[in-house]
Amino acid sequence: MCGIAGILYKQAGTHEIGKTLIEMLDGCQHRGPDSTGFALYGEDKDQLQLRFIVPTEENARNKATDNIASLLARHNATIESEQSVGCSYQIAVNFDGDLLAFTKDIEEHAKLVSVGHTLDIIKDDGTAHELDSTYHVGEITGTHGIGHVRLATESAVRPEAAHPFWATGFEDIAIVHNGQITNYWKMRRRLERRGFTFHTDNDSELVAVYLADKLKQGETLDHVLETAIADLDGTFSFLVSTPNEIGYAKDNLAAKPMVLFETDDMIAIASEEVSLNRLFPGQSINSTEPAPGTFQTWARSI
Amino acid sequence: MGTIDLSQTDITSANAMIRDFGHDGQDVEIINPDARHNIGVGLVDPITVKVRGSAGYFCGGLSHGARYEIEHNAGWAVGDNIYSGSVVVGGNAGAIAGVAIRGAEIVVRGNMGSRAGQVMKAGTLCCGGNAAFMAGYMMYGGRIIILGDGAAKVGQDMSAGEIFVGGKIESLGNDTMIVDMDAAERDEIMEFLERYKMNYKGDFTKIINAGKKLRYANQEPRARPQPFFVSSNSNNYWNPKVQEDIWIKGEVGRYRIRGYGASKPVPHLNDIAFVKDVASRQYKPEELQDVNLKTTVGGRYGAKPLSLSMPVMIAPMSFGALSRSVKIALARASRLSGISENTGEGGMLDEQREEADQLIFQCLSGRLGWNVKDMQRADAIEIYISQGAKPGLGGQLMAKKVTPELAAIRGIPQGIDLRSPSRHPDVLGADDLVIKVEEFREATMHKVPLGIKMGAGRVNDDIKIAYKDGFDFVELDGLQGSTGAASTEVLENVGIPTLAAVQEAIDGLKEIDAGDDMDLVMMGGIKDGVDVVKMLALGADCTSVGTSAIIAGGCIACMQCHVGTCPVGIATQDKEHEARYDIDLQSQNMHRYFESLRWQIASITKALGYDDVHKVSRDDLVALTPEAADITGLPLLSEHPSLHEPELGLELLDRKAG
Repeated sequence: MCGIAGILYKQAGTHEIGKTLIEMLDGCQHRGPDSTGFALYGEDKDQLQLRFIVPTEENARNKATDNIASLLARHNATIESEQSVGCSYQIAVNFDGDLLAFTKDIEEHAKLVSVGHTLDIIKDDGTAHELDSTYHVGEITGTHGIGHVRLATESAVRPEAAHPFWATGFEDIAIVHNGQITNYWKMRRRLERRGFTFHTDNDSELVAVYLADKLKQGETLDHVLETAIADLDGTFSFLVSTPNEIGYAKDNLAAKPMVLFETDDMIAIASEEVSLNRLFPGQSINSTEPAPGTFQTWARSI
Repeated sequence: MGTIDLSQTDITSANAMIRDFGHDGQDVEIINPDARHNIGVGLVDPITVKVRGSAGYFCGGLSHGARYEIEHNAGWAVGDNIYSGSVVVGGNAGAIAGVAIRGAEIVVRGNMGSRAGQVMKAGTLCCGGNAAFMAGYMMYGGRIIILGDGAAKVGQDMSAGEIFVGGKIESLGNDTMIVDMDAAERDEIMEFLERYKMNYKGDFTKIINAGKKLRYANQEPRARPQPFFVSSNSNNYWNPKVQEDIWIKGEVGRYRIRGYGASKPVPHLNDIAFVKDVASRQYKPEELQDVNLKTTVGGRYGAKPLSLSMPVMIAPMSFGALSRSVKIALARASRLSGISENTGEGGMLDEQREEADQLIFQCLSGRLGWNVKDMQRADAIEIYISQGAKPGLGGQLMAKKVTPELAAIRGIPQGIDLRSPSRHPDVLGADDLVIKVEEFREATMHKVPLGIKMGAGRVNDDIKIAYKDGFDFVELDGLQGSTGAASTEVLENVGIPTLAAVQEAIDGLKEIDAGDDMDLVMMGGIKDGVDVVKMLALGADCTSVGTSAIIAGGCIACMQCHVGTCPVGIATQDKEHEARYDIDLQSQNMHRYFESLRWQIASITKALGYDDVHKVSRDDLVALTPEAADITGLPLLSEHPSLHEPELGLELLDRKAG
């Protein structure tokens, strides 16, 4: 139960994506006051960027970061830089092994929420502006990003239950989702049989893994979204982001709202027009509402 | 013309200003609207509101007589539920444009989103571009004109009305057919288009209901009365009720529909007891008058709360399921006893409004009889999500009860087997519900409490959503709640017992540190004042009685409510049967019954050692069965500390032990 937003600038170069997504999410914060999250894409870094959720209390936090350090050592990953902020612990590591096996092991022992060379996922309890004051999201520039506001319904209000979700085992892929996947367990068991592990009961995590799995098999984002609409039951509007693209898929019942606005320079997508209009105050925009059962993707020029 | 700048004004202040302009008969323009929600909601004066830009959800919703001109786009549910007046959208409209309108003219010059005109009753919805899927979904009347193309399932489950499509039609909905249109109809459409300066010269395809699914093929037979109290009190699986079910299913060949609630044993309030030494506490009868029973419901956000003389309400029951006379009698009895009456699904009756001092107006998915004028004269508003008798399903009203009078108040065709939608058109999740709550607040100027009625399913989650979505009170209905008509499958088997529901609700609210500002009203099998006190001790703030109220008011509990020929004139719309109902007599009977509740509540409270019923607590209770202990977490009688510490002096237990 939530609101979603996404922005992609088509031209090369960096843009104020943090500030933009804060505005858009603040515009639909009424859809989800419990928690907020951002998946932001910036320059391609040499080191693998990892972000964990750790306790805020000092002793527990030190214990958690020590634990993470020993986990990394187990996989011959060396920490290049580290930073603790809010409920998170962000590190850059040198690692060139098997990412799937690496993250699978780490996720059994720590709350890993973002993995990638370009991606950073920031999520916590609170509103977009509250996250900004803790994590300085507004200062982050980049190429594109997606965001989410959450009203917790079936699971607790905890930072790790907030969106976006990274696709467990696959770097640089994130999703935000509004709706409910009704064949969740069927799809989850199908993926579990193929060796994937799930760390929450959140259906959005399923969507992320489902998409990333297919992408890693070499399928195009368009094709993956097309099969997602056929395979996933329920009501949903979701956004997916990769290092160079964002895309949406919408269920066949059109039960969850979504509007988009495209110019030569950018594509902005949100649950409600009020979020899009935040980017163009005082102006009317020619937004469109995607038809039920449709998908679309946009790539930035590199 | 007045001007309101929405970049400088919040929506509540803006709507108050719009109402002031309306009162003065002055038109108003809204600048910098930036797609904000609920612009112009609840306006009841015939002025013009010009929105210079795009509007968000519910623009012009719940208004009466005003004209809205939106220069650009509109979000979901533009023109929600308007009785008269017009909305013109210059650009595109989102989903459910013209939802539930009852006479308005809604014009969308661009495209409109899915389910346009859902549950509309009358008026015209016109779209210059294309309509997304399920245009005219579940419409009950009126006219939809689509100049462009119609996507899949045009007219899905429509009961009446007409849809005219100029362009291509991807597919037709259930139970629809294409028919020829006559010249007069075309002339009327052309006149409409001309009036709104829409240039169209082409032809139309006319779609109407095909009439194959408006009635059940086999109607419910009138069975030999199998009274509720007989069918409830017997073997759990082979009993007279099962026998009757089998007979009737053999006749109609489908699921059976009947009145009343689950009639089978489930853990309930009689499985718990008061744990104090009641007998040793002496008091004089006149002291009971000093026990505080006053209960307020719905003050969480500063609206004027319902002020009840005791923690009891009358449960929502519709004019439709029940006759007009019964609704009047209930309203009168509620006034005489200082408690509240509830309209239920079928709209508000003038006589009911006059008789009841405190009246809750209920909004259901079909928006049958729902309108802004009655909202503004209600003492509380309640959004129905579901009920204990049939969680997840809409109401049913069999054709025999859908008389011309009833059809008129609800805005539906007469003589159909009415199956109300199971979902609200504009509430497809907790996120949408937030905006709906705001719309209702705006329409009632934040003055009346807003509640939500829920059947007990996954209460632990649902109660948290209700809290977060900003409701003032929750009316929570357990498995044992009754109805005028539902299938036995859901009546008997869907939902959790009231006892489990109250516990889940209390636990759920505690888990999110909700405090006690949202009032919890429990219903479903509350049969006397003893149950009321037990419910309050478990943590409820108030209770609601339906079945016991109408039994006090003459119901013989024969469970034939669905048939429409109620022998005592209660569950009927037939004038001859209704004439048997004596409003004066039965309202007095109900009033006396409510007064018996008052006496019981006061005496138990006093006997437990309190001067205020709201002071009773879980410490006053003990579970008599392992099931009740398991559900409630109350100590089981055999394990209660007072058994082992005789100084606690529990007379009941002493006797048992001795």
